[in-house]
Amino acid sequence: MAQLNLQHIDKIYDNNVQAVFDFNLDVKDGELIVLVGPSGCGKSTTLRMAAGLEDISAGKLLLDGEDITAKPAKDRDMAMVFQSYALYGHMTVYENMAFSLTLRKENPNVIHKKVMAAAEILGLTDQLNKKPAQLSGGQRQRVAMGRSIVRNPKVFLFDEPLSNLDAKLRGATRREILLLHKRLQATMLYVTHDQTEALTLADRIVCMSMGHVQQIGTPIELYDQPANTFVAGFIGSPPMNFFDVKVSGDELTGKNFKASLTPEEKALLAPYQGKEITLGVRPEDIAEGNEFKVKVTNNENLGMTTLLHGHIGDATSADLKVTTKLKGWANYKRNDIVSLTFTRKHFFDKETTNAIRKGE
Amino acid sequence: MTTTNEDQLTKLDRMRYIKNRSSANLALLAIVFDVLYFVLLYQSDVGNYYYTIITGASIVYNLLFLLFGFLAEEGVKNYKSGYSYLLLAMGIIQVIRIFIVPMQAHNTVVTVSSVDTPALGNAKFTWMVIFLILSAVCLVASAVINYSKCRTLGNYLKSLENKAA
Repeated sequence: MAQLNLQHIDKIYDNNVQAVFDFNLDVKDGELIVLVGPSGCGKSTTLRMAAGLEDISAGKLLLDGEDITAKPAKDRDMAMVFQSYALYGHMTVYENMAFSLTLRKENPNVIHKKVMAAAEILGLTDQLNKKPAQLSGGQRQRVAMGRSIVRNPKVFLFDEPLSNLDAKLRGATRREILLLHKRLQATMLYVTHDQTEALTLADRIVCMSMGHVQQIGTPIELYDQPANTFVAGFIGSPPMNFFDVKVSGDELTGKNFKASLTPEEKALLAPYQGKEITLGVRPEDIAEGNEFKVKVTNNENLGMTTLLHGHIGDATSADLKVTTKLKGWANYKRNDIVSLTFTRKHFFDKETTNAIRKGE
Repeated sequence: MTTTNEDQLTKLDRMRYIKNRSSANLALLAIVFDVLYFVLLYQSDVGNYYYTIITGASIVYNLLFLLFGFLAEEGVKNYKSGYSYLLLAMGIIQVIRIFIVPMQAHNTVVTVSSVDTPALGNAKFTWMVIFLILSAVCLVASAVINYSKCRTLGNYLKSLENKAA
């Protein structure tokens, strides 16, 4: 397998619109990197540049130390799996999987062995004589993956491969991709806008917004130590709650509530004494307690948890809206008052939106 | 290059997923030769000077040949052994056809502008016979290959079933 290095990559289209700004990433051998971000953030463009389907406006792309920036897609030894499967409808599953090797004029027996091995891995052995139209969405996507596997490429590129599948199938196929990665130990670059996919699949996540990399890290790093309010809001479901607060002594003062600070938090926020910051609290970091009161607007039972939406105090302004994730089944009604407390807080600089961290 | 047992086995296993293209392509080629034959036939003056009920029947047969030819081509592609018999019969008919329209028309002398000439000239007659023979050869070869492959595949599938049992 292979190492992939993206160095200072920019993408500027002919109409001078810049889609990607100074993208830097070192993908280690056998690593599964997930590029995540909202639509239009440049993640697919970056993947297509890596595949050779888009020109790189500036920067370098290295594969195992070799500069492949100007190499055409067919010579890059990368295989791409598309959201739309891109299967040939008139060919059987076997023929679809064998197609790229047939084009390379490989020995038919060798092709057969590779196709059978890939079909075995993907559980497609019984489907080999079927046409794509006879398969379910998940099976079609597996065929598309099989077509990549038989090529034995250095790098696998996935462009939102699960977006066309329903929720149940998406979960199952996601697990299959993860097993496939563990089995092949392949270097993979995976694009998605679904943060659940990113958190469950990735060795490391690249979170992007407006063409800029916001944070690169392991899933737990992005969840636990988001670099800025964008990452904090994007990773995690439901998203993090944000409040404008003022640091006053050993407490934070919001519009309609006060929250006490631990000695560590107070030390961390010492440079911000008397200043306004953004307080971020994940819904799962709010529990029943007596720090502040929330007026319930909506109670959603999800079985194991309950999502409680409301406003802090009686206020209805947007910045005092709060979502909490309570354990178990709760039956609050609209306009009920619930006493809650923050169990964990994240702090962000109000001007830069960057996380406030020790030693920074 | 030596062929090992494993290669043979892989080749056999491939037949489960690969269509019988050689037979199918030969059947298509036979159709092409038949088309060339009847293009020459209808280009010639046979219709003007030598029109018999046989010529009309030949037109009808050409249409039937195309229909069954394409049907058989699809059949053999999917290893249907029954189509081998159809292809074989069609091949034999192609050979018999040589002795009907082209041969009889060639042997028929017509008078054009007070000159006696064969209804079908030497060159055209030769080409028509060649096309019919080529078509027949392709059909018979397609039938034989298909039959042989069907048997081989059938035996292999049986052995797989036995193994599974």
